[in-house]
Amino acid sequence: MLREVAVVGLGCTGCRPTTPGLSYKEIMFEAATRAFEDAGVDPRCDIDNFITCAEDYWEGFSIFDEFVPDQLGAVLRQLFTVTADGLFGLATAYMLIRTGEFDTVAVEAHSKASDILTFADIVAFALDPIFNRPLGGHPFYIAGLEMNRYLHETGASREACAHVVAKNRKNALSNAYAAHGANITVEDVLESEQLFYPLSRLDISPLADGCMVLVLASDKVAGKLTDTPIWVRGVGWNSDTPWLETRDWGRSVDTELAAKMAYKVAGIRNPQKEIDLAEIDDRFSYKELQNLEALQLCRRGEAGKLTEEGATERDGSIPINPSGGLLGVGYTLEASGLQKALEIVLQLRGEAGKRQVPDAETGLAQVWRGIPTASGAVAILSNRSRGAT
Amino acid sequence: MSLEKIGDPRDLTHWMGHMETDYSYTYGIAGEKFFKELKENAKIMGTRCKNCNLIYVPPRLFCERCFEKLDTWETVSKRGSVHTYTIANIDIDGSKLKKPIIWAMIKIDNVHGGFVHKLGEVDSKDVEIGMHVEAVFKSRKEREGSMLDIKYFRPAKQKLEKALR
Repeated sequence: MLREVAVVGLGCTGCRPTTPGLSYKEIMFEAATRAFEDAGVDPRCDIDNFITCAEDYWEGFSIFDEFVPDQLGAVLRQLFTVTADGLFGLATAYMLIRTGEFDTVAVEAHSKASDILTFADIVAFALDPIFNRPLGGHPFYIAGLEMNRYLHETGASREACAHVVAKNRKNALSNAYAAHGANITVEDVLESEQLFYPLSRLDISPLADGCMVLVLASDKVAGKLTDTPIWVRGVGWNSDTPWLETRDWGRSVDTELAAKMAYKVAGIRNPQKEIDLAEIDDRFSYKELQNLEALQLCRRGEAGKLTEEGATERDGSIPINPSGGLLGVGYTLEASGLQKALEIVLQLRGEAGKRQVPDAETGLAQVWRGIPTASGAVAILSNRSRGAT
Repeated sequence: MSLEKIGDPRDLTHWMGHMETDYSYTYGIAGEKFFKELKENAKIMGTRCKNCNLIYVPPRLFCERCFEKLDTWETVSKRGSVHTYTIANIDIDGSKLKKPIIWAMIKIDNVHGGFVHKLGEVDSKDVEIGMHVEAVFKSRKEREGSMLDIKYFRPAKQKLEKALR
């Protein structure tokens, strides 16, 4: 029988708009130290493999993965980098442990976005160099295009997107890790500068710096390390075509398929009934609505209405992004998915403080790799092991 | 709002770096043919997948659905419809554009795909999803074999639209 995998430790620097005075290595060192302390492990001997998640261009390095071992306690040990969001790193750690060859794996992802002086240029560099890039422009026009089509196809209202922003920014006020908590209204969002119609400035998650580290362990050792293991019940990932010209502009098909995969692994048949809370991608306000539907947490076309009715508030029937999401915590580049997983772990441990969702047993974390990608990942976590349910 | 001071990182002690990356991106077999026809004849070419009964625009040598090699070339329409659009008010450096850019995903008639391009000769208030548009090309002399050979798409002329029906 395949072994089970649990999150047994976490560390986070907290997210901030800037990190004056600390280098990327120092924020990684801080988060890693906290995670190893939380898990009660010594990285120099107790971690069987380290996984870091980073993209060269975000970091301003070629072959950035060479620059990560020392600040994690991983010099002369097993380490590799996954060039994707941290949730893909978590999925990789899960698979490594399930092989039976590794008992403990640490996953790291971070953002030092404040070091990037020309952020939009780097995003534009991710566009097809022959068919898209020559036309120039700020690459967020792609979000404007997608939002307009999503609203057109589903009939969700512009106001529903603004509700997502107001909710998530408010949730972030109860989260010490969040950079952008604020009391703002739906009207504030609607009246903010229109950048890429129908997308306005406040619909866009502001950038943040931060680092997250999770320590995962097999069921063989998890019980020795912690009294509150949070079990990884399923993971899934998927990529749609990279061509803007042939992808679906109204739906996130890759998220739909990543979710199906994760639900299958986790044995979840009725997500609406079995998922108690979710941290899902809200890089742009409308993405939260689109992803809610892609994850089958509501029916297609229902997300806007549910949001306006308050169902996705922290005390609603399906709390979404109680941490504040990327809109409230901040968009932390490849750490975004790991931040979502970290929040679910805190919630399922019952350690989320003021923002605790009561009686949560099973939670979902989902991330999109951002403009202009069509890739995403999903993880399902639970404080009940497979055997216990 | 966060109480953290939002500072310009350039005010901190730092080393300024500059990532210089010049590249020559090869068009490849499919791109070569597509841009040659675009430049010389103002024609839009696609490749047909017989298995999936789809014409890919921009053309490719392989089908993303069935992975079949594609070698049947077809000239396709210069017209299409606005699948979705947006109005960009800021430039890549964050500065306000004097003249907003209308971007659209244009689905070319009867093919799988089309172009993400700009709309011209139209007021942003008059743009709507589903509207019929046509490609406006640069003159033969100005065309260089790139996506910029299409200046923009504009609302399709009424009489031609009728003739197509």
